[in-house]
Amino acid sequence: MRIRNLEKRIGDFQLKIEDLTIEEGKIHGFVGGNGSGKTTTAKLIMDIIQPDAGRIEYGGLKLTDITMTSQRPYLLHDTVYANLVYPLKIRGRKPSKEQIQELLALFGMQDKAKQYARSLSSGEQQKLSMLRAMIFEPKLLIIDETLSNLDPESVEQFERMILEIQKKRPVTWIMISHRLSHLYRLCDRMHFFSCGRVIASGTAEEILFANEEPEIRRFMAKELVQRGEYDL
Amino acid sequence: MNGIENLVNRLFSDVGVYDAIRVTLCMSVCSTLLSSVFGIALGLTLERFSFPGKRIVVRINRTLMGVPPVVVGLVVYMLIMRRGPLGFLGLLFTVRGMILAQTLIITPIICGMTYSYAVKTAPAVRVFAKTMGASRLQTSLLLVKEMKYELYFAMISGFGRSISEVGAVMLVGGNIKGNTRTMTTAIALLKSQGIFHEGLTLGLLLLAMAFVIQCLADFLRREVREEENY
Repeated sequence: MRIRNLEKRIGDFQLKIEDLTIEEGKIHGFVGGNGSGKTTTAKLIMDIIQPDAGRIEYGGLKLTDITMTSQRPYLLHDTVYANLVYPLKIRGRKPSKEQIQELLALFGMQDKAKQYARSLSSGEQQKLSMLRAMIFEPKLLIIDETLSNLDPESVEQFERMILEIQKKRPVTWIMISHRLSHLYRLCDRMHFFSCGRVIASGTAEEILFANEEPEIRRFMAKELVQRGEYDL
Repeated sequence: MNGIENLVNRLFSDVGVYDAIRVTLCMSVCSTLLSSVFGIALGLTLERFSFPGKRIVVRINRTLMGVPPVVVGLVVYMLIMRRGPLGFLGLLFTVRGMILAQTLIITPIICGMTYSYAVKTAPAVRVFAKTMGASRLQTSLLLVKEMKYELYFAMISGFGRSISEVGAVMLVGGNIKGNTRTMTTAIALLKSQGIFHEGLTLGLLLLAMAFVIQCLADFLRREVREEENY
């Protein structure tokens, strides 16, 4: 997928991406400060908002092959099970009980299938939204800060799960996160956003360790000090 | 004991309580169903589309939510009276005419409530549906499903307004015993005849019906509350 000369103005904020390539089957990380344009770009890819100019070349991808989860996911007024099977239901696919149980077990939620989804804790809601996004095997998954409310154990579990999926059947991921250590462990490519522009793209090593861009150094220092992430 | 028996006999024979209850329920149920179809569709459409003058339309609808029923009754009367533009339909002094008036009274209420709920709910549902790859039809169905308690509540509010209404049905229906007499118009008649005890008994019966409806509305409201995250 390729983004070319994409422009979007929202109030005083102006997003302008000249050229951004999302390689198939790779894990991409969108990183940058608040209001730098990461989520706006994701929404443009998802066609939730429309650009003022420029275009997104989906390269054969259909919008129904793309999904996105957010920090505060929308859960249906229904059970965990109903939420989980919704993407299958609208595609006319019948969910197998084993598949559902297997998926829920990934996050230790196998006994919560009949529970009302909105009564789950915020961390469990995020887990559910991620499982729901993965159940219909999309080709591109956008994870927008969805891991922020998860405990370290769940984040680790999630990372393992992504890496396992990538081994079996490579999927394209766009991970939007502030957790640099998390992005560093997972991402094949990282794209640094600042003031509505992508100021650097490259491997995690290139962006985090070899880039001399003052904006990136400043962000790195701030994030690492604030979060105490010295495990890089 | 004899007094109560006499009261019941008088109510059920002279005033025609059975018929009044039947007419009241028939009129209220039919007008609520019709208003729900129009009101929900209009409310959702109003939320979905932007057009010049939309704010004015919303304000007009809000004004109509509180329109005095007797005014609607008068307008409907003028429309369906023999020499009126819809006189050929023969709706004057019929239950169908009363249903028409009631539908005009309740539709703005259901439309307004649907619109208010949809403004809060629809954007999130649409984004969610988009991320799941739902079609337009699937998104619309999902929106209705996600708003089901709110829509029930709007319908119940409309029904509550309908069974307690007197001005419009009196004008359009004519309060004909066994035909267009409703519980409220029967009470008005009893009052004009100075028969207060019977009027009060009928009023209590109407109150009991309204109470049952409120219980149902309260139950739905509780359902919504209990579903909130903790």
